[in-house]
Amino acid sequence: MNTNSNVYTVVYTTVIVVIVAAVLAFVSQSLKPMQEANEKAETISQILTAAQFGEKEHWQEIGNAATIKFFNENIANEQAVVSPSTLKALNYKIKEGSVDEAELPYYEFKNGISVIPVYGAGLWGPVWGFIAFDTDYQTIVGAYFDHESETPGLGGKIKDDPAFRALFQGKKVDFEDADMPFEIVKNGTAKGLDMTSKVDAISGATMTSNGLNDAIGNWLKQYVSALKAAQALAAQSAAADTVAVAIENVEE
Amino acid sequence: MKETILNPILKGNPITVLVLGICSSLAVTVGLKGAFVMALSVTVVTGLSSFVCSLLRKTIPNRVRIIVQLVVVALMVILVDQFLKAFEATYAIDKQLSVYIGLIITNCIVMGRIEAYALGNSPVPSLLDGLSNGVGYGMILIIVAFFRELLGSGTLFGLQVIPDSFYAAGYVNNGLVILPPFALILLGCIIWIHRSIDKDLQEK
Repeated sequence: MNTNSNVYTVVYTTVIVVIVAAVLAFVSQSLKPMQEANEKAETISQILTAAQFGEKEHWQEIGNAATIKFFNENIANEQAVVSPSTLKALNYKIKEGSVDEAELPYYEFKNGISVIPVYGAGLWGPVWGFIAFDTDYQTIVGAYFDHESETPGLGGKIKDDPAFRALFQGKKVDFEDADMPFEIVKNGTAKGLDMTSKVDAISGATMTSNGLNDAIGNWLKQYVSALKAAQALAAQSAAADTVAVAIENVEE
Repeated sequence: MKETILNPILKGNPITVLVLGICSSLAVTVGLKGAFVMALSVTVVTGLSSFVCSLLRKTIPNRVRIIVQLVVVALMVILVDQFLKAFEATYAIDKQLSVYIGLIITNCIVMGRIEAYALGNSPVPSLLDGLSNGVGYGMILIIVAFFRELLGSGTLFGLQVIPDSFYAAGYVNNGLVILPPFALILLGCIIWIHRSIDKDLQEK
């Protein structure tokens, strides 16, 4: 047979590609449940790391099952774990302005720590992460970020450099600033800016820092009113507690 | 047959003699775990793609030869990636290796062995040739990773091996070892040692 004829070449490549596509589709479909389980455990471990329940390595050591168990035992609200792909879909809605507040994932733990996700575009691919708030719903206790394909050693630092994550600890969200409740700025400390609701960007990774800045800004904006309301409610119940204690004291 | 298996590991080692696959050997050798998974993945990919291409060798139209090879290699790489993602033990390592698993497609060893060997030989020797080239590549990867993890992080396979008393006495992990340039230096040393043992490799 003449393997160099045009017809043969076209038919041959078509057949090969169809076979390869079929194999890939089959394998991908059959492994999907396992991959999704891994992804879910990974997301949970990121949420728990942001909420300061343990270092990221700790969750890897104890394994998927123990991580999920810990999460289920400590979560206070009924919030399904949302994968990065769902965050992506929500991100489109946020940009369009058509997002419903009830759709936005929000994790509240029994010790009062609450966690929100952020999602946006880095330099080469998506970046996302989780930001955890203290019981006042305003002070950040921790954060964890992940990315798909940022440059290792530069943009990759948002995930790999614990020092970058640590910058977020103790910062406060600026409820008054409707545009930028929290910012990642270049040389903020060097310029002597007020860093209460800002952190320094990563040098050598401007595009990734900008992307993460937008991700945090866009998502945080959606949560500000809810966080504010929760803070007011918490303050009210704390005040009520004080009053109750005072009354008790008087009665005694 | 013995020659097919031993040559790629020693005299024709893809990294130290042919100097192929350097890029990934610099990138993934910070830790032994990553290096081990990478070595295994490349071995599987070279072996299986050589085997499949050798099976197809008489039917492949010569004008689209490279494209057909690429499709086969890409298939194997995606399969490996999918399997790594599916198992709990390898998921974290796959995440850590990130793009480098996908980039096995561009590893010159894979295409090089298909072009140089698999297209002219029957399937079983091609499979062995692919596998042993993967082993030759992986062996160097693991040697480099051993030194980099030991000197750079004080661990092996993530377990601490340098006792705390050393650190207390002032021992510090070497930061340079973590960076890719040191892998190149180490690789140079391995090539040097290899050549001084095997005199045939030295240019006259």
